[in-house]
Amino acid sequence: MAEHGEEKLLAVARHIAKTLGHNDSTADDILQIFSNFDGRFSRDKLSEKMGDGDPRSCAALEHTLKSLDRQISQYVAADQPIWADSVDAGAFLDAVDELIATLREWHPMTGEKSVAACLDRAEDLLQQAMFRVEDEFRSLMERGGESFELSRPFGPGESAGNYQFDSEDEDEEGGMIGCGDDHQIPIAHPISDYDILIDALPSVTINDLHEIAKRMVAAGFGKECSHVYSSCRREFLEESVSRLGLQKLSIEEIQKMAWCDLEDQIERWTKAATVALRILFPSERRLCDRVFFGFPSAANLSFMEVCRGSTIQLLNFADAVAIGSRSPERLFKVLDVFETLRDLMPEFEAVFSDQYCLLLRNEAITIWRRLGEAIRGIFMELENLIRRDPAKSEVPGGGLHPITRYVMNYLRAACRSRQTLEQVFNESIDDRTSSSSLSVQMAWIMELLESNLEVKSRIYRDPALCSVFMMNNGKYIVQKVKDSELGLLLGDDWIRKHTAKIRQYQVNYQRSSWNKVLAVLKADNTSLAPNPSLNTMRERLKLFNLHFDETCRAQSTWFIFDEQLREELRISVVENLSQVYRNFLGRLQSVPEAGKHPEKLIKYSVEEIGARVNGLFQRGGGGGGK
Amino acid sequence: MPSTENQGSSSPFMSFGRSILSIRREQVHSMEANHDPNTQESEIELFLQLISKRFHDLSVVSADELLSLAWMRKLLDAFICCHEEFRVILLNNKVQVCKPPLERLVAEFFDRCLKALDICNATRDGIEKIRQWEKQLEIVLSAMDSRQRTMGEGQFRRARKALMDLAIAMLDEKETGSIFSHRNRSFGRHQSSKDQRHHLPGHSRSLSWSVSRSWSAAKQLQSIANNLVPPRGNDISATNGLAVPVFAMSYVLMFVLWALVAAIPCQDRGLQIHCSVPRHFSWGAPFILLQERIMEESKKRERRNSSGLLKEINQMERCASHMTDLVDSIHFPLTDELKTEAGQQVQEVTLLCEALKNGLDPLERQVREVFRKIMNGRTEGLEFLGSVNKPE
Repeated sequence: MAEHGEEKLLAVARHIAKTLGHNDSTADDILQIFSNFDGRFSRDKLSEKMGDGDPRSCAALEHTLKSLDRQISQYVAADQPIWADSVDAGAFLDAVDELIATLREWHPMTGEKSVAACLDRAEDLLQQAMFRVEDEFRSLMERGGESFELSRPFGPGESAGNYQFDSEDEDEEGGMIGCGDDHQIPIAHPISDYDILIDALPSVTINDLHEIAKRMVAAGFGKECSHVYSSCRREFLEESVSRLGLQKLSIEEIQKMAWCDLEDQIERWTKAATVALRILFPSERRLCDRVFFGFPSAANLSFMEVCRGSTIQLLNFADAVAIGSRSPERLFKVLDVFETLRDLMPEFEAVFSDQYCLLLRNEAITIWRRLGEAIRGIFMELENLIRRDPAKSEVPGGGLHPITRYVMNYLRAACRSRQTLEQVFNESIDDRTSSSSLSVQMAWIMELLESNLEVKSRIYRDPALCSVFMMNNGKYIVQKVKDSELGLLLGDDWIRKHTAKIRQYQVNYQRSSWNKVLAVLKADNTSLAPNPSLNTMRERLKLFNLHFDETCRAQSTWFIFDEQLREELRISVVENLSQVYRNFLGRLQSVPEAGKHPEKLIKYSVEEIGARVNGLFQRGGGGGGK
Repeated sequence: MPSTENQGSSSPFMSFGRSILSIRREQVHSMEANHDPNTQESEIELFLQLISKRFHDLSVVSADELLSLAWMRKLLDAFICCHEEFRVILLNNKVQVCKPPLERLVAEFFDRCLKALDICNATRDGIEKIRQWEKQLEIVLSAMDSRQRTMGEGQFRRARKALMDLAIAMLDEKETGSIFSHRNRSFGRHQSSKDQRHHLPGHSRSLSWSVSRSWSAAKQLQSIANNLVPPRGNDISATNGLAVPVFAMSYVLMFVLWALVAAIPCQDRGLQIHCSVPRHFSWGAPFILLQERIMEESKKRERRNSSGLLKEINQMERCASHMTDLVDSIHFPLTDELKTEAGQQVQEVTLLCEALKNGLDPLERQVREVFRKIMNGRTEGLEFLGSVNKPE
């Protein structure tokens, strides 16, 4: 009963408003007065539809819509941006909210013709509002950046548009970085500190964008919103990345580039990738999340669209480097790319964490692995180079061969990145190499080098010179190994073994060169005649002198670079020689026919022999380095 | 000296090849330590038969299926299969491969592989473009979906805008360049309520390519096709017949890339590639047919300015055009006839969007797989080309 009474009351109130109100706004005002007067006359009750089949049930709806139409149309038709004034914007959004709510509320009643007609007009109005709101959204996105640039506080040494980054863009004017378009791009940021958070747009703008996005999604225009957002931000991001100096190169172009140019590009890429993954992408992610707050799938989708292109560009470059030639000189730069990608992987996975980005994540990992393969390939190429190095010409004096120097210095430098290399070689799932650790790889290269050197040593016709050659190169190798991370990789056993080899070469050397000489002197010990005649002795001495002179002459150009080794060798030769020679001289002088001045028979004293030998293995004209 | 010129494509290469190979067999033992000529010969034959069969199947599909997403995937499947077989042949004949003249031919093949990688990347970009168009179509669907709302003026305006966005997006890059050079903003429309969205600044720049503006798919294709000629008789005999599979694989590679560029949008597409069709080989027949059919497709009036010959792109263009006509002819109140027609078109577009959503991702994955296989094959090949001990 009471309800019925109330309904009657409300109906009367409405009737009064309609009759007395000359136009919609007066009627509106009257209703407002009623609602202020008594809670029963609340606005929503007054405009609430009553009953089905009542032609006037639509009146309330019509009324609301008329009012909304008035409000919204005025904004839609306005020339200036609505969002220039936050009060306007707020009012506009309120109206839109109400429109959406109204539509939602009345939707179940679309069966009824009059209602349907109203809702049609409401939809129409909503669409106009949405078009306008989309424009506003776009312009906020594009202009927001500009004003941000101007009002941003500057750090020391920075000024508006000052490009802190190490770029080669010399034709940039001081001041705003224009790109020929109306809007400028705020990308001035110091890159030394990767922890800075960049607010890509001012907070107020982000808020505004979010408010608009909410309504667009509510109105079913979410896709349009996402599309505008993505297009604008993508442009911005791609410009930013290109200003980091990264050129858009095809794989073929990268293969054909001169190495020094490619090195340069790699450096740029390293910086670009770091800035992108540590600053730009997270900043975009944050922006996306804020603008599309409450709509995670729209946020994820938009983010993916914004960043996909730039990410692919970065990955493509890394891929191209991995595909490139395996020339050993490239190792260090390829390592750079590998390490950069490895170090940035956590950021990558954090920023591209949702389902839409799964493909990208996998791509990144695949490419990273390919870089590892490339590094292994480079070492394989090094192996080939060593294997194939021809034994053409002798190194004069049995000295250091360039390949020894090259390989050892190369490996020493490479092993400075030992940890990375261990990672690379442990990652290998290649079944061509049964055990693919770095130590094994290094040991293998050393073996190849040694084999190659042995082949080279055989060029020397004099076996003693072979040994000197092997000594020199072996010593250099062991030194470099001890002197670097290689020692850790190859192990003490290896060092011991190879030091022993050097010793062996020393022994070989002695045997092949001085034994002949000494044999002359020793011959008399086993002779048939226990007491050789003076003549025999004199002959032997002459022969000895001859051989000795020859040997010294032949070996005068030989060179041993390592001081310690040189000394060792001299000492042992001198010792050996002196002992036998002194012995011989003694016996010579004790031969009865020697006479009173046996010294006249002797050409060289023991000391002179020693001195001659001590002059060997030195670079002529001043010691000299390796 | 038997020439490679056979009259017509009816004389199969097989018999010709056999005669060359049998001559070879009568000569002194092969230099091939690890591969006897009998296995080698059958290996080659099998490979050529494989190519012939796979591409024959592709060439006889209906007009509806040709150049559809499904067909493109079958094409790439066939490629991967042939590439794998070819890889095995190379591995089985390493020693021969590292000797001239085969060495040079194989090295040229790997050069072509390198160029192919760029085309794969371009295709991936193109697939993304198609995805963007599909998303635009979805907006049209949202606007026209009569289940959600009543079909009012607002919806049609929305649909019209989305359709225009789509049309602009689907225009060739060259043509859009000039449109975007003027950016201006306009707020408020003082035109009639049934206005068009004149301000192009409302349409953001479409996806840019991941390559520089100067890169050209057509040029890349042409450089792959350059010097791609059937091997001469003495090359064939000098390589124990292996020159033929190398040529065949190179041709297959070029053809598949050509088809990709024809179907999928990419920067500076071009279909006129000068390359000698392998008329002398029986396995060449399906390619001749396919090339004819695809060229024919490209010459059709409606497809001449299309950004890609993919069937689904054609469908998108047609749907968009019908929809636009419908939307333009709308006047209120809606007749039942119009409502039904609209409903039908919505249905059509819905199905098309489904097909695109289901087909584009797998195609992209496959293009990536092709990329990987080509790349790995090339790396592997270059490694063993380089590792064999060369005489000093």
